[in-house]
Amino acid sequence: MDELRNKAKEMFDKGEIDIFIGYEEGTRNPRPLFANNADETQKLVFNDKCTGNLAVYLTRKDLVKGKKVGISASYYALKSIAQLFVENQLKEENLKVFGLSSDGQIRTLNSLEEIKQYLKDTPPPPKVEDDELIKQIDAMSSAERWAFWSDELSKCFKCYACRAACPMCYCTKCIVEVNRPQWIQPWASTLGNMEWQINRVMHMAGRCSDCGSCGTACPIGIPIHLLTHKMSETVKANFGDPNDKGNVLSTFKPEDKESFIL
Amino acid sequence: MSKIGVFVCHCGENISATVDCEKVAEEASKITGVEVSVDYKYMCSDPGQTMIKEAIKEKGLTGVVVAACSPRMHEPTFRKACSEAGLNPYMCEMTNLREHCSWVHEKGDQTTEKAIDLVRMLVEKTKLNKPLSSIKVPIHKKALVIGGGIAGIQSSLDIANAGHQVILVEKDPSIGGHMSQLSETFPTLDCSQCILTPRMVEVAQHPNITLYTYAELEKLEGFIGNFKATIRLKAKSVDPKLCTGCGVCYSKCPTKKIPSEFNEGLGLRTAIYTPFPQAVPNKPVIDKTNCTYYTKGKCKVCQKVCPTGAIDFDRPDEFITEDIGAVVTATGFNVLKPDFFPEYGYGKYKDVITGLQFERLASASGPTLGAIRRPSDGTEPKKIVFIACAGSRDPAKGLPYCSKICCMYTAKHAMLYQHKVHDGESYVFYMDIRAAGKNYEEFVRRAIEDDGVNYVRGRVARVYEKDGKLIVKGVDTLLGGKPVEIEADMVVLASAGVASHGAEELAQKMHISYDPYKFFAEAHPKLKPVETNTAGIFLCGACQAPKDIPETVGMASGAAAKVIGLFSNSELTREPVVAVVNRIASHEVSTCVGCFLCETACPYQAIVHEEIKNRAGEVIKTVAQVNPGLCQGCGTCVSFCRSKSIDIQGFSNEQMYAEVMAVLEA
Repeated sequence: MDELRNKAKEMFDKGEIDIFIGYEEGTRNPRPLFANNADETQKLVFNDKCTGNLAVYLTRKDLVKGKKVGISASYYALKSIAQLFVENQLKEENLKVFGLSSDGQIRTLNSLEEIKQYLKDTPPPPKVEDDELIKQIDAMSSAERWAFWSDELSKCFKCYACRAACPMCYCTKCIVEVNRPQWIQPWASTLGNMEWQINRVMHMAGRCSDCGSCGTACPIGIPIHLLTHKMSETVKANFGDPNDKGNVLSTFKPEDKESFIL
Repeated sequence: MSKIGVFVCHCGENISATVDCEKVAEEASKITGVEVSVDYKYMCSDPGQTMIKEAIKEKGLTGVVVAACSPRMHEPTFRKACSEAGLNPYMCEMTNLREHCSWVHEKGDQTTEKAIDLVRMLVEKTKLNKPLSSIKVPIHKKALVIGGGIAGIQSSLDIANAGHQVILVEKDPSIGGHMSQLSETFPTLDCSQCILTPRMVEVAQHPNITLYTYAELEKLEGFIGNFKATIRLKAKSVDPKLCTGCGVCYSKCPTKKIPSEFNEGLGLRTAIYTPFPQAVPNKPVIDKTNCTYYTKGKCKVCQKVCPTGAIDFDRPDEFITEDIGAVVTATGFNVLKPDFFPEYGYGKYKDVITGLQFERLASASGPTLGAIRRPSDGTEPKKIVFIACAGSRDPAKGLPYCSKICCMYTAKHAMLYQHKVHDGESYVFYMDIRAAGKNYEEFVRRAIEDDGVNYVRGRVARVYEKDGKLIVKGVDTLLGGKPVEIEADMVVLASAGVASHGAEELAQKMHISYDPYKFFAEAHPKLKPVETNTAGIFLCGACQAPKDIPETVGMASGAAAKVIGLFSNSELTREPVVAVVNRIASHEVSTCVGCFLCETACPYQAIVHEEIKNRAGEVIKTVAQVNPGLCQGCGTCVSFCRSKSIDIQGFSNEQMYAEVMAVLEA
């Protein structure tokens, strides 16, 4: 713990960062901390309970614009950071990243290459519960599955907490706000809610870090993170690991089978 | 408020036989915003077009929907008519009631219902159409011609004579290509070099032609009118500015026993060499793979004897880039090589040669100065066998196509042989005689009737050597399959014409397509024979398929005419159906977040980065921008854009959505 605090403090002292995004103790679980000076860094904690994806704050212009940022990042946050680099949303020179090894060691990751290497060397935290739920849903007939999701999504009242929690949802104008044409019904209704979730998940295809923050953020506990989890697995199995190969779904290759493009 | 005119065409009976066109027009008139709706027998006819024009003027139409055939043919017709009546041509749309409805369905109410739906969809789309203007792209009026054979020479001269700059790139040390190797040419028997070399000199001296020999295309970027070509100038090791072409270097070069490419291996050359005496440019190059200095580090004899100090061993390959507007590909062909014919003993027996080698024997500039001599012992062959279709038309060997030129040149070879060896006996084994061409059939008859060449219809099974003779075992199918055995002194194989070496690689560099045999593909087998699928790149000569000189020259002039046509305008006009990155409100605001997934998804490299700056000149954000010159309107970027910040002009998201909703809500 002291190690991270000291490192963060040192960076402030040297003027290497203007803000440090990390965790502090919360009521039950650690919560985000935005340290704006060396003193505030002394509240930092970093342990295996720090699972919230802090990368979501890296694209919040009001928070980080024009600033040099330090961040402590969980495994999935690192995946998000790597993808944000690919999508031209971050600049290497403005970011200092700390990762937590499985042995509890804090590691400084100085470049996208180092982050990618770290992700390659580190196995993803297991998702036993989610995998079990997906197995159950997969076992359903398509009518049952439709009924399951209709039922779940009928509860949604479109608060968009899932969108706010997602590091990949950084568009300044989201598709739900586009009204020419109105792709998605703006009010809450089962069909409109489905339209929104299907769109959200499709927009995540090949980009999602599979952190599950969307599901955690949902105030009424709709397991929408299962949609992104399943989709991430599907993309990985069919097109390769985006961590290795970059934009697996959105890179044109002459040998692509979609011959209508050319 | 939109005022749409709907014009339903019967297409004679093509549409009206299964679709109730009157009902379609009547139903369309009930759609909100439709001001006028009529049907007519032939909408594309003059009265039909006049009907549209008058409606535009009288009713003040803001959009026109023509429900007729495929837009491929008549969209330009109707857009032009609208334009003449004062409506922006892109406010006119066509829906395809013929291919999409009447031709594929039986007569009935449902068919008519579908036609009404198709019209309804397009009316809703057209309401959202915006006036567009065609895109103008500037053109670099300079052509790149790749390949300096007769095709490239002809094309270069035609383009240059029309007043445009030409860069001619040839990979060998001299231009001339295969034609320079030929002895006499059918069907007139005029000497190949006598008619070719003046053209070669003309190329070298033409003020509009820049000739790069010993050079290859390294890279081609850009698009029609605006290509950027990178050309590798291979190091010749001889400074062309200092060299006078005196020839002392190659007369003194100690490495003398290299098989001459020009003489198809029947003669020898030195390591520093000009390929043949009439070479253009007539200045030598050093063949680095055979030169003793390059291979062993010692020699430099040529440098010592050169009176002008032109030899420069250390000069590296150079690269130049040129802005060009069009490319003519004229890379020619090769002939099939030895290992293809184990049954004919090519490569095993010295006196089994290819047609191209026979050309060198018969040529006055060849290794025997035009005398027909056996490569093995230099004696005159008294009995000679020509085997046509050696490789061609042989699906079992993977070359099912006809090489087209062999029937004629084999007749010529046999004729030349009879002219040079008066007591000689010649046989031609053939499958069919394909002599379609002006004076071609007469030429073959002359060989058979006047010069006494023996034509045997049948294939040769085997050639083997026995007591210094080549035993040719074949069959005469006209005599009921009677076996034929000829004791020949020499055998000439009319070996198939195949794609030139490196054709596939070059095609990939230029993004043009090619067939399974690596011959370059034309855009349309009948109507676009000199175009490729890539706009601005043209084809001529044997790189497209084997062909003879007259056909090659005709095609070369055809390709040149296309280039000259392109260069006749200062700008290129393109359809405005391209992607645009939307901007809302002012210049500062773009909904694009700059993730640039569109950039990796674009097959045409049309996405560029645009920096949006504030008044102080600071970059606020970097967003995507589309280069309309490169964009082909495929729409791949649109499907990847999460914030819907990209649209295709004329096919916007809003328009597509309206179309779909029109059919769903009907």
